[in-house]
Amino acid sequence: MKFFKRFAFLFMLLSLVLSLVGMTGVAAAQSETEPNTPIEHFIVVMQQNHTFDNYFGTYPGANGIPNGVCVPNSLSDEKNRLCVAPFEIADRPISDLSHSDTTFQAQYQNGNMNGFVDALKKLNQDGTLSMGHFTDKDIPFYWNLADQYVLFDNYFSSAHTGSITNRMFWVSGKPGSEFNRIPETGFGDIPTIFDHLQERGISWKFYVKDYDPNLNYRTVKELDFLPPQVQWVPLLSFDRFIDDPELSSHIVDLDQYYTDLENNTLPAVSYVLLLGATEHPISDLSLGERATRTMLHTLMQSDAWESSALLITYDDWGGWYDHVPPPQVDERGYGFRVPALLVSPYARMGHIDHTLLDHTSILKFIEENWGIPPLAERDAKANNITSAFDFSMTPRPPILVPATREVSEPRIEPRRIVIYMAYGAAMLFACMILVWAYTIKDDLLLPPYDAQPAEEIKP
Amino acid sequence: MSIKDSSFVRDRIVSGISSTHRVLIDWRSWDRALVARVVGVIIVTAVAVGLRVLGLNQLGYNTDEAVYAGQAAAIASAPVLRDIFPIFRAHPLLFQLVLALVFTFGVSDLAGRLVAVAISLATVYLVFRVGKLLYGVKAGLLAGLFLALMPYHVIVSRQVLLDGPLVFCTTLTLFFLACYATTQRPAWMYLTGVGMGLTFLAKETGIILVGAIYAFLALSPEIRVRAKHLIISTVLMVLMILPFPVSLWLAGGSNTGQQYLVWQLFRRANHTWDFYLSTVPAAIGFLVIIAATFGLWFLRHDKSWRERLLLCWIIVPAVFFQIWPTKGFQYLLPIAPSIAILAGRAIARWWPDDIFILNRRIARSWIKTWTVAVIALSIFISSMQIIRPATTGTFIAGTGGVPGGREAGAWIKENIPAGSTLMTVGPSMANILQFYGHRKAYGLSVSPNPLRRNPSYLPILNPDLQIRNGDIQYIVWDSYSAERSSFFSERLLKLTARFHGRVVHTQTIPVTLDDGTQVDKPVIIIYSVHP
Repeated sequence: MKFFKRFAFLFMLLSLVLSLVGMTGVAAAQSETEPNTPIEHFIVVMQQNHTFDNYFGTYPGANGIPNGVCVPNSLSDEKNRLCVAPFEIADRPISDLSHSDTTFQAQYQNGNMNGFVDALKKLNQDGTLSMGHFTDKDIPFYWNLADQYVLFDNYFSSAHTGSITNRMFWVSGKPGSEFNRIPETGFGDIPTIFDHLQERGISWKFYVKDYDPNLNYRTVKELDFLPPQVQWVPLLSFDRFIDDPELSSHIVDLDQYYTDLENNTLPAVSYVLLLGATEHPISDLSLGERATRTMLHTLMQSDAWESSALLITYDDWGGWYDHVPPPQVDERGYGFRVPALLVSPYARMGHIDHTLLDHTSILKFIEENWGIPPLAERDAKANNITSAFDFSMTPRPPILVPATREVSEPRIEPRRIVIYMAYGAAMLFACMILVWAYTIKDDLLLPPYDAQPAEEIKP
Repeated sequence: MSIKDSSFVRDRIVSGISSTHRVLIDWRSWDRALVARVVGVIIVTAVAVGLRVLGLNQLGYNTDEAVYAGQAAAIASAPVLRDIFPIFRAHPLLFQLVLALVFTFGVSDLAGRLVAVAISLATVYLVFRVGKLLYGVKAGLLAGLFLALMPYHVIVSRQVLLDGPLVFCTTLTLFFLACYATTQRPAWMYLTGVGMGLTFLAKETGIILVGAIYAFLALSPEIRVRAKHLIISTVLMVLMILPFPVSLWLAGGSNTGQQYLVWQLFRRANHTWDFYLSTVPAAIGFLVIIAATFGLWFLRHDKSWRERLLLCWIIVPAVFFQIWPTKGFQYLLPIAPSIAILAGRAIARWWPDDIFILNRRIARSWIKTWTVAVIALSIFISSMQIIRPATTGTFIAGTGGVPGGREAGAWIKENIPAGSTLMTVGPSMANILQFYGHRKAYGLSVSPNPLRRNPSYLPILNPDLQIRNGDIQYIVWDSYSAERSSFFSERLLKLTARFHGRVVHTQTIPVTLDDGTQVDKPVIIIYSVHP
């Protein structure tokens, strides 16, 4: 009996210890995956090839196109003193302007920012076009977003070159290769933010609109051209993200985004490529706007909205004019400013954020939000986007953002006072007639019912 | 002839008696009469109030109620609703303006219905007054009782519809006209013009009763009418009507009014020719109609301008609305007071013999009491049945609230992001969801042809494109609209399937199956859609 009591006591003690250890372990694991801010879902949409001035150069209150700016037509021909002032693109046809490293240097002009036209003309391109800009007529939805949420006007592309390098900074904080190219052997073992997320058990996905799982950097040779999907999804140039089913299963079609929202399984970090709705010139900008709007509205309609943030930005400047000289933090960048917008229930309303940011600021936010160490020097030094949030406020309820900026044709807004007065006058008039009629009592006196005395009649 | 029953003769006799005795006789006779009258009024009032208030707000508004309440909310500048509902639609705004005054303190569906109920109680009182004026207190009380119990009046007056106030105004006009016919004093004729003006402001279709007045005066040579009085009366009527066009014009909505007129004139018939025959007699009460007809036949030797007046008040609207292509359950309500008065008259003045059953004499007073009781009970039971919410998932427009509509709207208001746009099968559900849900809703069945649609409804020209563009985020299917338009219901469901429709809310109502079991039937299903 004594033995049994001791055994029971030891068993209970052991159970208690084990459960305490287990609870601590679970708590530790949970705390590793739990964010440090109310943002549990961070979604980044990266579009292509526009500068801040190209999209928001005339946005009120932002650091847009300065008055009186005029960029020389030619830098080499001293006799040619013509210059090109910024202009509205409106219906003018556009083209894919050069946006290589060399073009950047020729446009940047060591910070003089006066080579935008000349650099392109030297490449036999329409340099004048680079001075064109869009307005709220062309991208009304994005301007509406800026009105309601946060517009960053000091956000730079990470590298003064094209998409591949900038997107490598976006996922790894590093350029990936010496030039704006995918190495023949891929990007090797450069660590990415997704490796860190995977290690810590933090959910992530890379959504690609119109995703083709058969396309990756290895298929380039067979195709003899670089498909946009491979250019713009850096993970498809990493062997491990192609071969490891555990990792490759995270690169999915955009349809999965809607399914995840429906099932309430939206991952903590989502990168999005709107391949079939790119704003890369010469594409129709409204396609990108529409795709982003649908994504945002579906997010707003879901349970995830209250704990989400959606950032929309652009990989590189695309050859377009921007007036702010980018700080040169190292030999690869920064490149010119690109547009960036933040939408979240915690985003400040109609706020223009002037914090110096670049694509590695996205990494910075992920790292600080989920307690992940920096990937590289760039993201370690980058500023965070947290200044755009106000976590002390009650989360803003979802309000769908209209696709147009036109003030809808004013509906006939009746002057209510006229209605009240007209009908009130009629009622007053009726009362006056009644009162007048009753004042002449003799005239209105009703006799008792006497026309035919109420005699009951036999049928 | 019973001298005691004739208040007129009684008054004449009393006037010849010395003052001391007169007080005594007065006290005795008035005491009994007064008590009977007070008890009668209390019973009629209690029944009228009870039937109109019992479970008044258990169902939310139907589409017409939502529209009128929405207009009132827009006049009262209620947030959100003022941007959804236009102020000017087809009808004048007298009732909506009264509602707007109430909604100034907050929009409430119950408050709106209580206003409608209050107006209907005033109508019951007016019917008593008209009945009393034409045929005496007993007939007046019985007419009031029949109208108080009448399913037709009960069901319409429990709703925020224009027809309740319309009937109040038509009965007021009838009262003024009856007074004129009784006294031949011009002031009553002037007030008749004012009453007709009010009738128009309540609902413009009331103007057809001008035809009833004309028919009555033309068919009643004993009622002397001077042209001068008629002209003044007409001028007064026009002055009363003026606020409608003037406010439309000054407030900037005249175009809206014209569009409505064109649409009303050329719209297609919405019901078959026998719609009124199949719905209205049962709603008035077969026994009430039989009593009224019985009285007209058996008391034909007692005929006077009174019956002519009431018959004109019945026949003119009935014929007009039978011919008019647009038919509505509640349109014939203005004939109800006249039928109630005729039924009251028939019973008050009918004098059956005493009858003998098993050698026992049953007094005629008992026969009359039982006749009244049977008629009253029959329409009371009908009213009780009709005020209970439908449990089949279908309904006729104008007969009451829409089960589940308010609840679905409330869900939308709570759960769907502001700025969302909904697509419904038809505009009826769209109106309800807009009122309760505070979100824009468009009916798929609204015709793109301006001649074939209510001018206040905007059509969805290309639903496929609008969903693709992200302009419509939710699709709402409902069993009521689906029952009426299977074509648009199927089309809506096809769009739902095409655009990844996902059910986000299902509104159910408890329904009783044929075997008596109760199940929850889905009546409104809300889908979220995306390209």
